[in-house]
Amino acid sequence: MTSTSNLAPTASSNLSRTVPAKADDVRSRGEPFTWLLGGALALGCLMIAGLLALVVWNGFVTFIPKPIEVLTENSGAISAGERVRQESFRPAPDVVAKLSATARENVAGNGGYATRFLIKTGNFDLYGEDFKWVADFDVATRSLPRDMVLVERMEWGPLIGRLIGMTVDGTSVAVTDIADPRFVDAHRAARDRWRKIADLERDDIGGINARIEQERLELRSIELSEGRGSESYRRAAVTYESVAAALAKDHQRSTAEAAALVDTNKGFTATFADAQGTSKTVALDAIVRLYAANDLSWFDKIAIYLARWWEFLSDDPREANTEGGVWPALFGTFTMTLLMVVAVAPFGIVTALYLREYARQGRFVAFVRICVNNLAGVPSIVYGVFGLGFFAYLVGGTIDEVFFQERLPSPTFGTGGLLWSSLTLALLTVPVVIVATEEALSAVPRSIREASLACGASKWQTIKYVVLPRAMPGILTGIILAMARGAGEVAPLMLVGVVKLAPALPIDGTFPFIHLERSFMHLGFHIYDVGFQSRNSEAGKPMVFVTTMLLMTVVFGMNLAAILIRNRLKTRFATAAF
Amino acid sequence: MSSERDTAPPAAQPAPYRRAKETAAAVLIADKAADWTIRAGGMSVIVAVFGIMVFLAEVVAPLLMDGALDGRSSAPWPRSEGRAALIATDENLSMIATVSDSGQVSAVHAASGERLVVPSFEFDGRQATAAAHTLTGNQMAFGFEDGSIRFANVEFKIELIESEARPAGLKPLGDSGDLTDGSSVFTPIATGQLRKVSVVAAVGGPQMIASRQPIRAIDYRVGGPAERPVRAFVTVDAAGVGRLSRAETRKNMVTGRERISVTTAELPGLDAGVAVSAALINDQADQVYFAETSGTVRRYDARDFSNPVLAETIDIAPGATKLTSIAFLIGEQSLVVGRDDGSVDIYFRVARDNAATTDGYVLIPAKSLERHPVGVVRIAPAQRGKMFATADAEGDVWVRHGTSAQLLLKLAPEPGAAAPASLVFAPRDNALISQNGTQFTLWRFDLPHPETTIGTIFGRTWYEGYAEPTFTWQSSAGSDAFEPKLSLIPLIFGTLKATFYSLLFAVPIALGAAIFTAEFTGPRVRAVVKPTMELMASLPSVVLGFIAAIILAPIAESAISAVLIAFGAIPAGLIFAACLWQLVPRATQARFGGLVRLALATAVVLLTVSACAVLAPTLENIFFAGDFKAWVSGATGTSKALLALMLWPAVFAGFWLLTNAVVGAWVMRAMKTPSTAGRDYLARWVVTALAAAVIAVLAAQIVVDLGGDVRGGVLDTFVQRNSLIVGFAMGFAVIPIIYTVSEDALTAVPEHLRAASLGLGATQWQTTIRVVVPAAMSGIFAAVMVGMGRAVGETMIVVMAAGNTPIIDWNLFAGLRALSANIAVEMPEAVRDSTLYRMLFLAALTLFAMTFVVNTLAEVVRLRFRKQTAAM
Repeated sequence: MTSTSNLAPTASSNLSRTVPAKADDVRSRGEPFTWLLGGALALGCLMIAGLLALVVWNGFVTFIPKPIEVLTENSGAISAGERVRQESFRPAPDVVAKLSATARENVAGNGGYATRFLIKTGNFDLYGEDFKWVADFDVATRSLPRDMVLVERMEWGPLIGRLIGMTVDGTSVAVTDIADPRFVDAHRAARDRWRKIADLERDDIGGINARIEQERLELRSIELSEGRGSESYRRAAVTYESVAAALAKDHQRSTAEAAALVDTNKGFTATFADAQGTSKTVALDAIVRLYAANDLSWFDKIAIYLARWWEFLSDDPREANTEGGVWPALFGTFTMTLLMVVAVAPFGIVTALYLREYARQGRFVAFVRICVNNLAGVPSIVYGVFGLGFFAYLVGGTIDEVFFQERLPSPTFGTGGLLWSSLTLALLTVPVVIVATEEALSAVPRSIREASLACGASKWQTIKYVVLPRAMPGILTGIILAMARGAGEVAPLMLVGVVKLAPALPIDGTFPFIHLERSFMHLGFHIYDVGFQSRNSEAGKPMVFVTTMLLMTVVFGMNLAAILIRNRLKTRFATAAF
Repeated sequence: MSSERDTAPPAAQPAPYRRAKETAAAVLIADKAADWTIRAGGMSVIVAVFGIMVFLAEVVAPLLMDGALDGRSSAPWPRSEGRAALIATDENLSMIATVSDSGQVSAVHAASGERLVVPSFEFDGRQATAAAHTLTGNQMAFGFEDGSIRFANVEFKIELIESEARPAGLKPLGDSGDLTDGSSVFTPIATGQLRKVSVVAAVGGPQMIASRQPIRAIDYRVGGPAERPVRAFVTVDAAGVGRLSRAETRKNMVTGRERISVTTAELPGLDAGVAVSAALINDQADQVYFAETSGTVRRYDARDFSNPVLAETIDIAPGATKLTSIAFLIGEQSLVVGRDDGSVDIYFRVARDNAATTDGYVLIPAKSLERHPVGVVRIAPAQRGKMFATADAEGDVWVRHGTSAQLLLKLAPEPGAAAPASLVFAPRDNALISQNGTQFTLWRFDLPHPETTIGTIFGRTWYEGYAEPTFTWQSSAGSDAFEPKLSLIPLIFGTLKATFYSLLFAVPIALGAAIFTAEFTGPRVRAVVKPTMELMASLPSVVLGFIAAIILAPIAESAISAVLIAFGAIPAGLIFAACLWQLVPRATQARFGGLVRLALATAVVLLTVSACAVLAPTLENIFFAGDFKAWVSGATGTSKALLALMLWPAVFAGFWLLTNAVVGAWVMRAMKTPSTAGRDYLARWVVTALAAAVIAVLAAQIVVDLGGDVRGGVLDTFVQRNSLIVGFAMGFAVIPIIYTVSEDALTAVPEHLRAASLGLGATQWQTTIRVVVPAAMSGIFAAVMVGMGRAVGETMIVVMAAGNTPIIDWNLFAGLRALSANIAVEMPEAVRDSTLYRMLFLAALTLFAMTFVVNTLAEVVRLRFRKQTAAM
């Protein structure tokens, strides 16, 4: 239409009435609507980019050491801390009324708004809070003293202050510099002793306790099978007594050794004075790390940054998970996902093979396909409920009754645990593998199959040597996608075995090494727990961001791997096609 | 092959070399094994699929199933002096004890009916004229002819005895496996120990209250802390005077002797001729009821103990019917009433604004239960739940539940037995004991979930203490008398609300983005945008929940007006930008494709958002009277400005269409040449917008003057974790899914359709909206359905960002509690096989069913779409 009128500008008015031209052209191009569509895409992309940027930025900056500002307020109050963030707020009228004239003018000029910032003051044990809002107009002076030290402790959160002294083996030594070799050496030695104590407690004492428990359970199982009055029980009871006595001696020795180390460590302390001058003595072995925040070179900063990352990835959590590391959660996520793959891969592939290669294509298979697709859409929490009721309570309860009767009434498999979590997630992700495998199988040309069969290969030989290798990229993609889905899922795990703080890793040095019945920690649940359930969500926030970044890296990494593998294997097989 | 060899010519020529054609056994075995394994494995997964549903349903089923009667046993009644003032049994149903009016305590072994010798009370040969006991039955009060009162305890003492310490000379009790030493029952238990049950009885000295008249009716409750109990009791004497008394026990620190002091207040309003048939008092001793056989019930408000007031007198047996039995249900706020015509009603004490009573409460009939064919003679409340039993004149006993109003069991008496004289629930609500003068009967039954019916789960239920029937989910509380309120409706509503708001936000963005990607951008943009979106779909929802709850919710709270304005401002800004774009010469426009427009749109969106943030205080002043939170809760300002803003797009659209219809041809002619068309279009747009704004303001003024207000309903009181946040956060989860699926559907539309449309002279926009989108419609619908399925089941986001308040309202700024979140929050605390556990399974099943329907719909539509496009 446009072209008509453009080509014939002299067209009669008659024609232009029936075929209205230019303006209608504007309308027919639907410009405002295309802009709305474009805006929708832009908004979607912006949301995603914003989310990623938020997580990645916060994740990266969390471990950077920040300077410690010492602020003197107009009221004379002194506080010291790291600046966390700032915002504009509307001070209450009575606050504004008390301000100096210039400050009041500033606020009024800003439309009644003023700026305030949040500083992390630490020293929770001294003042009962570790964050403080300070309004800009309240600050009289601010300085960055070079001797202010940030101390990361085992408990009570960070301490911010100056070193004013220390004790070495009970005698006080005048040290005011944390770089003083006497201090550095004493700290290192105390930490070594602390590590030794932890090792003793976990490996030696824990091991002895486990063995005593093992012996007790054996005795109990004899009691259950033979009865209390039987001869074999009496004999077992005597053996138990002697073994328990021997173990108790070992126990005592290890405990004494640990106690001696603890005693030694009591003599090593450091005393700090905070910005207001209140002093606080901290045991040296309870100091994880300390640095003079305002006196760091670039090199120091990078070293602290990397050390914190290493601690985060390799250490146990402290302070109700809000500090320290996430190693148990990372390990738990990894183990659970791996176990899940072990369960899901064979079943998913076998089912897809059945549906595609063995079952007669008809109404039944079509119906099953709809069901499988449907399963993929069933909410994950429903699987959690099923896993709890079926795996943990029904199957696990039965296992306990048959095999672990001596441990009853405390459940072994009859409660949430690693195995049940993996199986639940396997059930959750099996549709992903089935769909992907089916797609991959259907992409294998019929001609290849027929050629193989014509050469005399059996059905299984055809599948094993011809079909499966060609379908492998698709299958692998499906498995990796299932892993990604499983690793990021939290809701069902909350019902079937994830805990806030697991006493031991699911794999360790005591027999039988892999403890499928143990509850475990998980990165996703860690995020929920720290961000949502902890005492002070502000204190946990940085930690949650880093954990979130880690989880997203794991999940996105797996997804990217799926895409890459798919692409690589695709090209490899594309050349091999005939 | 063998036959071939046989028929071969003898030995004329050497046999040609033959390869063995038998397949190797190993290959055959492997093939067979693989065959079976794969079939078995495949079938097992299919079985698992259905197993899930069956298992969930199997766990839920007992909720709605009837209870079962486990057995009935009878034994001759140990005839003692007078009627039984109390029948009681221990938790394990090993012993039944009775106390007679003369203080005689007797006990029998429940399973065998054998008599046991137990200590009795000493009333000095006197007979009590009235007796009462607390709900659990272990505290009693007796009233005597001379107006005195005595308190007594009857308790079952339960001890565990190691098998080594077993007393000698125990005799077996029937063939029940229990043993006795003549006075106690010993039961072997699983751990190898013996459980010893014996009766402990103690009675206090006589206490005088004001009157010397014989006591005719009494009721008794013990409240206060265990170490200093406060006993409250209400008495009616032969002279027709009602009294409320309180007995306090004080221990003298020096002598160690206990002294009981009784204070008494007289209850007014009882006339001389009134024959009180029943007196009731509650635990807190602030409510007293006197009932007459005629049906007249007097309710006293005794919150001021020294000055009780007659609050209300009502007739609960209308017409000629007679009141035969009245009792409190546990919690003591509802009364069960039985009449001689067989009817059973439950009365609630409810606060009413227009109550004609002195304390603002009225007694109203809340529930009418199934009638007995003949008159009711006894009512027995249960000791733990809201169950109760009614017995009729023919001896039939019906077990019912007060809240669900359902009839749980009909218990038939021994043939020819008389109507029960007493009826009592066992402590664990698992048995009933009745006594009719010659024998007692023990019914054991198993009623695990008496409180749930389809009606209580999905309908309105009238709970004790509530003003009217409601949908309520409240599964636990601090007190023992608390009754769990388990209606799934608030949770289903929460799920629907979260889904609705998230789709409201996600669908336009996802579909718009999909259409733009499929139709207006090149393959290079698509190659970047699509995988990114797909990657987003795999983002763990716990991350979204955390960011929504900890980061977005506080930001949205502090900048709520900017956020709200942005919802309107972004589309407006985009349209404005589109109009400006018209001014760019056509040739320049044509040179830039979708990518440039996308970049510009991004810039516009960013600009609008930052403009909103900067202008937020001003906008808040204009629209929300300076303080959004105060405004939205209705405290300040009017809704005039916001109403005008909401009316404006509608008025604008109306205007635009009107000008198209009426003066369209004239306007078209006015826009002579393509070069000026864009400018004219912009001018028209601006003029229309301004005119629409004026009209919208006027209209809003009129509406507000007439009393209209946009607040209340969807816009109401603001809380930090609200549906807006949930909708937004869930958008992150749902947008990628809807986007990918619908984008696939759009690209699946055959290219020749587009080519044909464009070839006929349609613009790209016309082709998109009139050809491509309709062709892909079923695919797009399926996409929305799949997105909806995800939103319905999403758990972590709603757990963390929704505030978890199970309230039914559409308020955008209020929280919600979804089915999924409820399961995640409450399941870890639910005891296996308890009612809550099964209810949570029902919640899961409901969720399963909802997603099943949505996903099947999506799947069916998608299959149709595939067929359709294949045919095109």
